[in-house]
Amino acid sequence: MKESVLPARRPARPGGWFHYLANPGRFQKLARPALPWLAAASLGFTVAGLAWGYWFAPADWQQGDAARIMYAHVPAAWVAMAGYAALALCSFVSLVWRHPLADIAAEEIGPVGAGFTGICLVSGALWGRPMWGAYWVWDARLTSVLILFFLYLGHITLIRAFDNKAHAYRAAAILALAGAVNLPVIVFSVQWWNTLHQGNSVSLAGSRIYPTMLYPLLVSALGFYLTFVTLVVARMSAAIAERKTAALLRAAAERAP
Amino acid sequence: MRAPRTRRLYLVLVCLACLGGATALALAGFSSSLTYFLSPRQVAAKAPPLGQTFRLGGIVQEGTVKTQLSGQTPTTLFAVTDGRAAVPVRFSGVLPDLFREGQGVVAIGAMGPGGVFVADEVLAKHGADYMPRDVEQALKESGKWDPRFGPPPAADSWGGEKAKGAGT
Amino acid sequence: MSQSIAVWPFINAAYGVTVAFLAAAGWLALARYRRAAARLAQAERL
Repeated sequence: MKESVLPARRPARPGGWFHYLANPGRFQKLARPALPWLAAASLGFTVAGLAWGYWFAPADWQQGDAARIMYAHVPAAWVAMAGYAALALCSFVSLVWRHPLADIAAEEIGPVGAGFTGICLVSGALWGRPMWGAYWVWDARLTSVLILFFLYLGHITLIRAFDNKAHAYRAAAILALAGAVNLPVIVFSVQWWNTLHQGNSVSLAGSRIYPTMLYPLLVSALGFYLTFVTLVVARMSAAIAERKTAALLRAAAERAP
Repeated sequence: MRAPRTRRLYLVLVCLACLGGATALALAGFSSSLTYFLSPRQVAAKAPPLGQTFRLGGIVQEGTVKTQLSGQTPTTLFAVTDGRAAVPVRFSGVLPDLFREGQGVVAIGAMGPGGVFVADEVLAKHGADYMPRDVEQALKESGKWDPRFGPPPAADSWGGEKAKGAGT
Repeated sequence: MSQSIAVWPFINAAYGVTVAFLAAAGWLALARYRRAAARLAQAERL
């Protein structure tokens, strides 16, 4: 009886959850109460990880204190790449299924991801100068991360460049998807080519970082990931509210002559 | 309702596959220019012409570093090796902090007369292993790691060193 | 012969830039979120 009155409250198919959640109204209902908790967790883990790395982690055997830059640089790099993967996924969903929430997410991920990529580049330069002897070199790892930064900037510009939003979303989604081929290049650049940048310290095969230095890195990385999620969810929630406000004001203007 | 979605899905997947393939081919084709430095073996096999700038990368060979202080800037002579070939290098200037024997290094310059690589700039290349100094000492003292024979053992095999390292 | 350069200014700069970015991004997101919520509430009263 009840089921026939209310339209499907719970998705029946396994893939149905995706469609169920990909609705701006439901997103708002979930996001608004979750945001304070997300923000508190982001702040807690980020501050704990960075403070642990800056003050308490041991100095490195070859790099000394300069290795402390790792606790900011490596999480920023991971989030920059994961953020781009999320952007590419949203673009894919947008192109194939035309979900409005995927477009909103893509528009809001761009600036946040570009910011983390910028942090990765700046902290890397500040690490390279004392350790390598140069702020910047044109090796494959550094160049591919710089390309990632420009892909973010291109996406930010393109998605805001059209008067027709549908065209903007489609053009930006194609750019984001095409740029996704850069992600494996970044990860494997240190293995495929001779680079000045050292190899990956943490991979699926394991870690080459001693536990007393790995734990603060993982706490910091968790904090950075949570910060990214919090920032994107807050910006998406604000974007949805802005759209609703604009729609309400338009409707009010049409009612009143 | 479903047909256009499925069509778009396959269209996007085919486009991605083509783009990925094209990128892989392009990267494989330009592989030599994406390589940041040449190894001593490559230089020994076919050295770039005299005076042409390139980057030479490898390990600073043990026992080859000699520094002469003439005037203000020190001149350092050392050999860069990859285990099979070695190239002598001359550099005038201040070396980076991490420069030492057995350490990775990238020198930017050109071949000079007498088969000596004249470097304008020397960059240090460090490994991807991070550990506190006491753990490094413990690993070396217990004979589990000799820096001359490559990088330290995997981090998860260091368990026994922890207590020992903490005591030193 | 290597000459030591001070590493702490570089460490402090890297941490400073990172913390400044995180704080600014968080503050901007919070400000935008609050403004959007307030404007929506105002529009709904119309």
